[in-house]
Amino acid sequence: MSSPFSNLEQLLYGILPYVAMFVFFLVTIIRYRVHTFSYSSLSSQFLENQFHFWGVVPFHYGIIVILTGHLVAFLIPSQLLAWNGVPWRLYVLELSALIFAFLTLTGLVNLMVRRKKYSKILEVTTKTDWLLLFLLLLQVSAGIYVAITYRWGSSWFATSMSPYLWSLVKLNPDISYVIGMPWMVKLHIINAFVIIGFFPFTRLVHVLVVPNPYLWRKTQVVRWYRDRQISRSSV
Amino acid sequence: MKRIIGNQLTSGKRTLFDRSLFLLKSPLKTITFFMLFGLILGYGSPAQSQDIAQTFKQNCSSCHWIGGGRLIGPDLKNVSQRKDRDWHVRFILDPKAMIDSGDPYAKKIFAEAKNVLMLKVPGMTAKLANDLLDFIEAESKLDSSQFAGKKVALGPFSAEDAAKGLELFTGRTKLENNAPGCINCHTVNSVGGSLGGRLGPDLTQVVARLQGRTAITSWLSAPPTATMKSQFQNKPLNEQEIKSLVAYFESSANNDRYNFDSSIIWIAVIFCGFGGSLFGLILFSGIWGKRFRAVRHPLVKLSKIRGES
Repeated sequence: MSSPFSNLEQLLYGILPYVAMFVFFLVTIIRYRVHTFSYSSLSSQFLENQFHFWGVVPFHYGIIVILTGHLVAFLIPSQLLAWNGVPWRLYVLELSALIFAFLTLTGLVNLMVRRKKYSKILEVTTKTDWLLLFLLLLQVSAGIYVAITYRWGSSWFATSMSPYLWSLVKLNPDISYVIGMPWMVKLHIINAFVIIGFFPFTRLVHVLVVPNPYLWRKTQVVRWYRDRQISRSSV
Repeated sequence: MKRIIGNQLTSGKRTLFDRSLFLLKSPLKTITFFMLFGLILGYGSPAQSQDIAQTFKQNCSSCHWIGGGRLIGPDLKNVSQRKDRDWHVRFILDPKAMIDSGDPYAKKIFAEAKNVLMLKVPGMTAKLANDLLDFIEAESKLDSSQFAGKKVALGPFSAEDAAKGLELFTGRTKLENNAPGCINCHTVNSVGGSLGGRLGPDLTQVVARLQGRTAITSWLSAPPTATMKSQFQNKPLNEQEIKSLVAYFESSANNDRYNFDSSIIWIAVIFCGFGGSLFGLILFSGIWGKRFRAVRHPLVKLSKIRGES
């Protein structure tokens, strides 16, 4: 019997993930070797730091928790299902995930608004940034839609998505787990791999060089060493 | 001249995406790239090879028998005598399109199935449809086909059967072959309509929808939908589990106790999500909101005073 899946399905769920991972590893390594100092979030915090707070803080706390949740469901699906086997634990987990997903979305929208609203920020925003923000917005929105519409995503992620992802890891992709999913779930999956492939070309690389010592180092007060009036007149 | 705002270079907005095109400017790197890409492509499609009987079992047997009588769809014994081969191939390839086209026979069998639409099998080809029809023809000539169907007890189920079914449905009792519990994707009213999963359909009236105990039993023995097939084809339900689940579905269909619009509860949960995120924002603001104002602003204020004086 020939493959029961169309070429497009095999391309999107069987090949795209490998292309994305290949590009991810190749370009992150090349970029680190060739443009070492481009490994930065290119923070614009010095240009504007009030509205910035309402973007980065909810976005980062939200996305870290949500990605950790996906990782846990991928790594230990049986344990997750055991946790979800008791109804109140399932509700706590799903409601917590929903709260952090809304925080992520709020932060992301604020970050986009900030980039558009402040001329200084707009000046340092590239097309790549906009494309990345759009992809992230699509991803988070699709994720929230899926969580609300097809509930108990944590459970069926463990039963359907985890085996699919493990089949990719084992280089024997079984895309049958994905084929029957609603199109919004498929969009979420495809876009995830697109973001992974796009990752090394963007400021997202700062994820790979997180300055962990910041968590325990002593606080620093940064002060401008300049004459404000001269600085203003020179711009 | 390059201009820097903050720590960012703003002149010439060449992104790393543009710069990465150097990969394609070097012949050696390009060849390496496409060789690796070719390797990826060449790892081959996942092994899907299986014999035609297995294909029939996984895709057809939950709705059709061969010589056992009508199930959800018609008995397929001698089906080739009802219409010509070309018609059958076209119908198998896309049942909905045939019905929508107004084909009288397609509409007739759709009505006889009480408007349960035959699923379009992923990856179905004309060749595979012909192979299936050849297989059905060969099975039709046998005294008793392997797909003639199983007899299902028609007597009433016990309360114990239904209770066991509930345990299996909710996952509190593990399925023998470690397939996931139904509640991950489905709901029925008697577990509280708001509490079951929503990836798959509500199963409260599934017995009536699939036209009876026999059909649902057959469905559960080889679930044909893509999502369920991936879960159950290697972890099938055993006969006792199917019996318990069918008993539970039958009892749920007649249980009015939880027959309310559960979507309200779910909407409340979503609003709790909104509320929780709002609380989170307030919390963040409370903890870190003054992080700049508390240190930097007094310093800025002080420097302004000093500057003015």
